[in-house]
Amino acid sequence: MSLPYTKTERVNLSTAEVMLACGDPEGLNILAEMFAGFGVHTPRRCLTGAEARTSINERILNLIVVDSALQDQTGYDFIHWLRRCDVAPNCYAPVILLTGHTKPSQIFKGRDAGASFVVRKPVAPMVMMQRILWLLNDQRKFVTSPGYCGPDRRVKALGPPVGMKGRRHDDLSAEVGAASTPNLGQDEIDALFKPKAVI
Amino acid sequence: MSTARIFTVENQLAKLADRPGGKTVAEHVRAAEIRVQGVRDVTLASLVEKAEAMAAAVSAGKNGSDPKAFDTIYDISNAIFGLAGTFGLKGLAEAAFSLCDLADSFRGGESVNWPSIDVHVDGIRLLASLGDKAEAAGADTILEGLRRVRARVLPNG
Repeated sequence: MSLPYTKTERVNLSTAEVMLACGDPEGLNILAEMFAGFGVHTPRRCLTGAEARTSINERILNLIVVDSALQDQTGYDFIHWLRRCDVAPNCYAPVILLTGHTKPSQIFKGRDAGASFVVRKPVAPMVMMQRILWLLNDQRKFVTSPGYCGPDRRVKALGPPVGMKGRRHDDLSAEVGAASTPNLGQDEIDALFKPKAVI
Repeated sequence: MSTARIFTVENQLAKLADRPGGKTVAEHVRAAEIRVQGVRDVTLASLVEKAEAMAAAVSAGKNGSDPKAFDTIYDISNAIFGLAGTFGLKGLAEAAFSLCDLADSFRGGESVNWPSIDVHVDGIRLLASLGDKAEAAGADTILEGLRRVRARVLPNG
């Protein structure tokens, strides 16, 4: 996974509001220590889906980390609720779903629930930080539809599958038609680039 | 909500992370590793407790007092898998993962094989109590036995 950050670049998570939800107290404790190391002050800690829903309604959150197993419900169900709860901006917040014993179907289940990222345990601090850095650069649009609410599940912008018509309004045809206007002149091309001062 | 909407959402996390201050990525990771290692002992102690709780759940399942025993066994084993893996206890993590496979299959309708559960729980209790010393104490032998049991009970799993 290529990252937009290097190890020497600075990241400031000290003012980020983070919610950590995990049904296992020791697992939650590890997550809290990890995020304290990342500079996050007093993340909201939740053992149950009920506590997590209360946090969603009480404060604006910038990052949500949810384990697949909460004490009173699954993390999948919580994320499914979150994406449809209409509590803006929290319902659009980036969500990292942590899974333990995982079948491929559960990865898809997490993605389809609306998670921004699914991470398989055990999660080392470096892996968690990599996923956070990826989310910092995440420019995916948000989708709400009867069947799905969450970030666009198509991570790669490769266009529609070969031989199929794209469903996005801005999908372009693979076939290039004949030019409909004259070629740009050099001045017009130059004008497309923003001039920048050189210090 | 009757039609699909696709729209842009401002990445607030990115805006906050770009504020002056903070630490380098490497410093954050190092600090997090140190803090996680700080809860190692208390976490390893909890693994022993979880293994004992799992043994109790198996007993309740076998005598019929807990109809959802496999859910409990699965949840505890799943938690052990995550915690053990965090601290490099690979043998314990593998044994817990294998028990998750069994419990998940049995609660999903496969014919129940309690002896396979028993041998896994015994192995997990032993590995949890040995902690870091498990590798030297012959964890491979225990794991090899558990792999054979799992392969026999779930040949297609």
